[in-house]
Amino acid sequence: MLKYTLRRFMYMIITLWVVVTVTFFLMKLLPGNPFGENASKLSPENLQILREQYGLDKPVWQQYLKYMGQVVQGDLGVSYQYPTRDVVEIIKHNFPASLELGVESLIFAIIIGLLLGIFAALKHNKAGDYSAMLIAIIGISVPSFVIGPLLSYFVGVKWGILPPGLWNGPEHRVLPALALSFGTIAILARMMRASMLDVASQDYIKTAKSKGIRGNGIVWNHMIRNAILPVVTILGPIAANVVTGTLVVETIFSVPGLGHQFVQSILTTDYTMIAGLAIFYAAILIFVMFITDIAYGLVDPRIRLGKGR
Amino acid sequence: MSTPLLEVNNLRVSFKMHAGEVQAVRGVSFTLDKGEVLAIVGESGSGKSVTAQTLMRLTPTPPSYIKEGSILYEGKTDITKLSEAQMRKVRGAEMGMIFQDPMTSLNPTMTVGMQIAEGIRKHEKLSKKVALARAVELLKLVGMSNPEGRIHQYPHELSGGMRQRVMIAIALACHPKLLIADEPTTALDVTIQAQIMDVMRDVQEKTGTSIILITHDLGVVAELAQRVIVMYAGQVAEQGSLHDIFYNPRHPYTWGLLKSVPRLDSDRNSDLSSIPGTPPDLYAPPKGCAFAARCPYAMKLCLENDPPQFEIDGPAHTAKCWLNHPDAPKVDRPIETGGAAHV
Amino acid sequence: MDNIAKSQFEPAVKSGDREAILRPSVSYWQDAWRRLKKNKLAMAGLFVMIVVTLLALIVPLVSGYDYETQNASAVNLRPSADHYFGTDDFGRDLWTRVWWGARISLFIGIMAALLDLVIGVLYGGISAYFGGKVDNFMQRFIEVIYSIPYLLLSILLLMVLGPGVSTIILAYAITGWVSMARLVRGQMLVLKEQEFVLAARALGAKPFRIILKHLIPNALGVIVVQITFVVPTAIFAEAFLSFIGLGIKPPLASLGNLLSDGAAYMRYHPHRLVFPTIVFSLILLSFNLLGDGLRDALDPKMRK
Repeated sequence: MLKYTLRRFMYMIITLWVVVTVTFFLMKLLPGNPFGENASKLSPENLQILREQYGLDKPVWQQYLKYMGQVVQGDLGVSYQYPTRDVVEIIKHNFPASLELGVESLIFAIIIGLLLGIFAALKHNKAGDYSAMLIAIIGISVPSFVIGPLLSYFVGVKWGILPPGLWNGPEHRVLPALALSFGTIAILARMMRASMLDVASQDYIKTAKSKGIRGNGIVWNHMIRNAILPVVTILGPIAANVVTGTLVVETIFSVPGLGHQFVQSILTTDYTMIAGLAIFYAAILIFVMFITDIAYGLVDPRIRLGKGR
Repeated sequence: MSTPLLEVNNLRVSFKMHAGEVQAVRGVSFTLDKGEVLAIVGESGSGKSVTAQTLMRLTPTPPSYIKEGSILYEGKTDITKLSEAQMRKVRGAEMGMIFQDPMTSLNPTMTVGMQIAEGIRKHEKLSKKVALARAVELLKLVGMSNPEGRIHQYPHELSGGMRQRVMIAIALACHPKLLIADEPTTALDVTIQAQIMDVMRDVQEKTGTSIILITHDLGVVAELAQRVIVMYAGQVAEQGSLHDIFYNPRHPYTWGLLKSVPRLDSDRNSDLSSIPGTPPDLYAPPKGCAFAARCPYAMKLCLENDPPQFEIDGPAHTAKCWLNHPDAPKVDRPIETGGAAHV
Repeated sequence: MDNIAKSQFEPAVKSGDREAILRPSVSYWQDAWRRLKKNKLAMAGLFVMIVVTLLALIVPLVSGYDYETQNASAVNLRPSADHYFGTDDFGRDLWTRVWWGARISLFIGIMAALLDLVIGVLYGGISAYFGGKVDNFMQRFIEVIYSIPYLLLSILLLMVLGPGVSTIILAYAITGWVSMARLVRGQMLVLKEQEFVLAARALGAKPFRIILKHLIPNALGVIVVQITFVVPTAIFAEAFLSFIGLGIKPPLASLGNLLSDGAAYMRYHPHRLVFPTIVFSLILLSFNLLGDGLRDALDPKMRK
């Protein structure tokens, strides 16, 4: 298990390094002036001073090493366009709202998604199965940026049940979290159903039956535990789904989170901010992947006890 | 004679598939006495596994269903008429089952101790601690070394042979009166097969349980069984004592099976033969004898008329073949009998 | 039973081949098609897919409007006989724009899937075929790429490449091929060990020929299924990128920018969100339903 963890950790570090490197060089390739439209008003002398200040007069490899050094120390730079904005400060300020929204929607999605998947599998090929899977496939086909506006408009504006936007009290959490969890619920439900059906056809389920165990006992002790294992592996991609979802959901519901900030930076082409936030998001997701792998190792005795993989 | 443990009468089991109805078991009848070891032999698709699983009602319903017949347990309970809830009281407590592949028959995420204890806790309402102590005893019974340590291990930490011992322990956990072993050695290495057969014999002697042994391996039959049923295309082709089947077989299919067993004492140049052809399609079983299409002795009436069970020297030995009719021509058995007993 | 004619005991004359196959054999694809036809949801998906594709191809040609001409006297009209889906804030006909958008979205989806296919099959096929060190290295590389969230990378790429149909396809393909490559490799590894490939090898067939003639046709089932899932994912990616301002720019229409506009104007002109939503969801739904159906139909494990 230790060896497995170390190996996964190595992968995480390498991937992070690749992400930072790719981001850095893509930013170097960007067309136009890094100081944005304001820069054209500057005199060439002032521009030169700015370039020196940000180290842009140095060779690219030196800039790269400097950038890497900064990133390792947790410094993602300062916005070129708005020098008072430090990327890390922005993250500290805006991330809590995004994290809360993401975690709330994830918890909700996991509970509902798994229940829906289990329900569908137990009603395999009956009406319950078909309706659950139809709901799931609609959830996959209708993205959060369609559901979001619809929820905001109907529940928020037209019927006035819940606030259609902003982020003040607990009642403001409901609609964004709901909009964000839709797709995740669908993915989880489908995965869990497939996994449950797979487990149901395993020989050890017959063994359990031959012991005279009750249906519920078989479902709980033998099926769900085994069926949930492969579902754990997609938690990484699901987290990615939720993170990218926050970009649009926060914009729709005017949630003062990091996703909203990210979209704003894209609209204003604030390159350092985009690069910094992309690295931050990638780091979070890669870390989630790492945790997922470790968690999988912990729940599966075959890996926990040092065999397999 | 006391009441038999099990009396199966004219059992018919079918599977409803989208292409039609597969008649997997077509009128099987037999009895099993207390403490007796009965082997059911046949090639794959002969309905032997379905018969065995139907005894515990383990075939998935749908698509399978019992069309006809009864399974009388201890002379009073008809297994085919029990509800699922009643059936759960029978499974594990009255009957235990061992499956073919020990690699897939154990839950990978549960310790073997818990898997053995599960049935005990369910049927005898014992605490976890007591049940686990019983699991240790059971593992000793099936000849596992260090049983106290083993109960905390997961299946993947055990070898195939050890896993099959665990399966036997699970099946025996609540002292069932009947143990059904569905090809218990097929998936194992030859040396391990012998060990498992030893464990089975040992267990049978110590507990006196009845055993139904499903196999296609006549060598395994000779080691353990007292009586043998030969199944073909969902029907009983021949049944009798071990001696009857090996020394006085009366069905060409049985002859074929015996001929296909390799022997050390036979002439090296003599053929080790197989039975040509394939079993009939059970979507639409033939009108006459199911074996007629592959039978070298088939007669005109075999193609049209399904043979009855002919009694050979009394009801204990029967063969479903027209050759046993008094008017039928006498044919020479193509084999020296009794050979397979010394594989 | 006792009165059986003596003649009945004469040896039987058996007609025909003893080992004749009783049921007609059906090929893999015929069998799959037969099973697919039974799946009502998948067939509905296929039907919707065909209808939507036809509309996307035909409507822009016959609607009498084009996607970019503005009309200041017909701004934000509700649906009517003249404008089935109404008009937008520049007075452009939404019926035309939505189907133009569908056309572009479908084009993006299909091109992305094809690029995915080429890269994925080559990468996965080579990796599996050569095995050993080559495979090991290529798999480590994939594991790294796989951990990079594709939408984030697409965002960065689009910042560099600039928004547009071809850049979106490229951005998607650069990040999207990984799943396909993994899938193909997995299939190949299984198939590689099978006898007919060994036989081809023993006969001295060249590696490339073996990949092309033997391995790919056999892995085709899973590849087809994967493609039906890649198309909606790419369409979704375009819509997502449009929504955050990196997608296709008006006046050109795509379902993504129509949805994004529609969401912005929803409170006052709900029709601008409703119609793109319906078409977009129908496209995604039909591909997903068909993909699910195909997966079930092509799964060899279910073949009986």
